[in-house]
Amino acid sequence: MNSELAYSGMKDASHKAKANGGVTVSETVPRPRTSFQLRVVMLSDPRFLSVLRAAVGQIGLVYGLTDDSCRGVTLAVDEAVANIIRHAYKNRYDQEIELNCRAGADQLEFTLIDRGEPADPARICAQPLDEVSLSGRGTHLIKATMDEMHYERVPRGNQLRLIKHLSAGNVMSMEADRSGA
Amino acid sequence: MEKQMCSSTRIERGTTIVDVVGQIDLGNSPSLRKTLLDSLKGADRVAINMIAVKYIDSSGIASLLEVLKEARQSKKRLVLFGLTTAVSQVLQLTRLTGVFEIHENEEQALAA
Repeated sequence: MNSELAYSGMKDASHKAKANGGVTVSETVPRPRTSFQLRVVMLSDPRFLSVLRAAVGQIGLVYGLTDDSCRGVTLAVDEAVANIIRHAYKNRYDQEIELNCRAGADQLEFTLIDRGEPADPARICAQPLDEVSLSGRGTHLIKATMDEMHYERVPRGNQLRLIKHLSAGNVMSMEADRSGA
Repeated sequence: MEKQMCSSTRIERGTTIVDVVGQIDLGNSPSLRKTLLDSLKGADRVAINMIAVKYIDSSGIASLLEVLKEARQSKKRLVLFGLTTAVSQVLQLTRLTGVFEIHENEEQALAA
């Protein structure tokens, strides 16, 4: 299977960015009011996780997420894909994972689809967060960083939707400038 | 292109320091865990330098926790220093900030 990446949307060509210590940052430019979609089809190989993180992080930056929220959303998508690799595909690295990113004026939505073992909803976040357990923190991190998390079985397999609202507190104000200048 | 994660080991004032660089995730946390456990075998005190760790996920946190447990069982000392905002955020979200001995920089870690 070939990894596939397709994108569409993003009409706002006036958006400006500049390099700051190796990181591309948004200046005091309004976040896009137009929609953006990105579809990634990849193998369940952990080496692709860094590619997904880069893409998700950049979408968060463009849509004005605060640094904390941007890191949180990136972490959530990474943890969700890692869970698919570990639990749905039992660490088989040659299976297919599809990620659809949809950004709009009000929210960022990330939909993950896999064809692995279904998740047991009763076991999601079932483990308490304590220092004894070595695993089970991934779903806690997803819940803590995203505003909505929906899991369901669909004809194509398992579907997980993660949503981050672009509301006050999650996004930078117009006056804020990441560069700190 | 940036290498995803690498580590190296040195000894300063009787403490084994493991310098970790890059992003820790599901793909490389087993390798980091092995490096840290190996370091612990040959030292009474290990300090992990996290100043160049730009990302860590729950598998990386689990690896650190496993090494901490091993250190406690073998009556050795494990400390972390130089935590970036990204690492601190994940430790706070997983409520593990108080579980690890954390210092701001190498000097403080060695002096503690």
